[in-house]
Amino acid sequence: MIPLRKPADYAPILMPLIVVAIWALAAASTSSPLFPGPAKVAQAIWHNFSTIMVQLGATLTRVVIGFAVAAAITVPLGIMLGRLRIIGQLFEPVMDMLATLPPPAIVPLVMLFAGTGDAAKITMIAFAAAIPLLMNTYEASKTQNEMANLVARSLRLSRFETMLRVDLPAALPMIATGVRMAVAAALLVSVTSEILLATDGIGVFLQRQQENFQIAGGLAGIFFISLTGLVVNTLILAFEKRWLFWHYRAQEDAK
Amino acid sequence: MNDTTILEAVDLRKAYGHGLQRMPILDGIDFRVRKGDFVSVVGPSGCGKTTLLMALAGLSQPDTGEVRFRGQPVTQPPQGLAVVFQDYSRSLFPWKTARENVIFAMRDTAQKTRQERRDRADELLAAVGLKEFAQKYPWQLSGGMQQRVAIARGLASESDLLLLDEPLAAVDAQTRADMQDLILELAQRFDQTCLLVTHDVDEAVYMADKVIVLSRRPTSVATEIPVDLGKRRDQLATREQPGFLHARHEVMERIRSYRSQMAG
Repeated sequence: MIPLRKPADYAPILMPLIVVAIWALAAASTSSPLFPGPAKVAQAIWHNFSTIMVQLGATLTRVVIGFAVAAAITVPLGIMLGRLRIIGQLFEPVMDMLATLPPPAIVPLVMLFAGTGDAAKITMIAFAAAIPLLMNTYEASKTQNEMANLVARSLRLSRFETMLRVDLPAALPMIATGVRMAVAAALLVSVTSEILLATDGIGVFLQRQQENFQIAGGLAGIFFISLTGLVVNTLILAFEKRWLFWHYRAQEDAK
Repeated sequence: MNDTTILEAVDLRKAYGHGLQRMPILDGIDFRVRKGDFVSVVGPSGCGKTTLLMALAGLSQPDTGEVRFRGQPVTQPPQGLAVVFQDYSRSLFPWKTARENVIFAMRDTAQKTRQERRDRADELLAAVGLKEFAQKYPWQLSGGMQQRVAIARGLASESDLLLLDEPLAAVDAQTRADMQDLILELAQRFDQTCLLVTHDVDEAVYMADKVIVLSRRPTSVATEIPVDLGKRRDQLATREQPGFLHARHEVMERIRSYRSQMAG
């Protein structure tokens, strides 16, 4: 059975349509080749589709690897630093310093050690993703309630078990926030790193298009990058709904 | 030491702070709990009941003195001792269902397989009247129900001694009476030795075979009052018995004397 649609259900589709319409009108009213309309961009997407997919694939592969490396290191580290107060306090200023450092600033340093290939880009992506992941995990692990830890101790859980079975699940909602920030940072830095260290990837594609005054092609690339962001965000939300429903529902009930 | 003694506090002392700020909380606590007993610990507010419970549970160390559980000095939470905390809303894990919360306590117990643990958890949840709620999450349950899950979890570890830290302080009056009877019934059914820390004199006397009355801070044991009312208690009949009224009077009088000292 198909549920009846309310006008509000169409709102998310309506706005992009309006934007495209205004864009088409604006493009039609000027003859500049530097301002292509939606039709031109659609054409460019058609022509460049396979190239865009391949380049985007290269970019996303690095994003996934970089993100996975960052998460594998920072989540356990953040939980541990939060638990071991003194060591956590030692690291806090370092974390604060790294948090304000724009990831592209480390490009020259990374190049020195990792060259300009995949390793360099993955390093940068991992660095960019690591900061929000580490900060959020650390903060969650540090501020979590004493009671849960008393329960864990009275049930004779080891420190490691407590981190795995109590601290980690309790920190998940904040880690999820970190994940969202980290994914955004990873996407940003992946494209930036490609433009700076050109070899392959969607960033390189964008630059080539721009160098050849293929504005429509560039817009086509940008369209797919934002589409990727949208898809990733939707996926994260779906995961949160599946794994963190207890957090959001408990919060609702507390109201 | 007598064979049936399960828990023993020997000259427990603990202070917080240093130098001029040093504030002694526990000032030589001595008492015993015998196997099978239901013992209440009651005292004027602010007398360090929680500090005492933490030391008894092995969750904090006294400065001097010793807690002995089954004859062994307690330096960390010992096997065979379970705690039910006052703050049920924080002591249950919100990402686990009631059943999973109960299963979480079955670490050193006889149930080894998943199915055995599940069956045992369901049995305990049925015992606390939550048969239908095994799949619910704590935040879907009322305060009284959450505390019953916590009690089921306390029983799940098959401990020799259950420490109850003001478990009913945060539930409403009607629920409290029901839960007092539930705890008494469970203690008998599972042959569970219990130590209940409470600030409620009536509750202390109603539930216990022995009431340990604490002095005000720095705290020591003011007196121990035996309650000879048998194991079967009834909210109406028991509370009208001369034995109940007498014990209640004695406890009350002792605690009031500390209050008037504080006021004066």
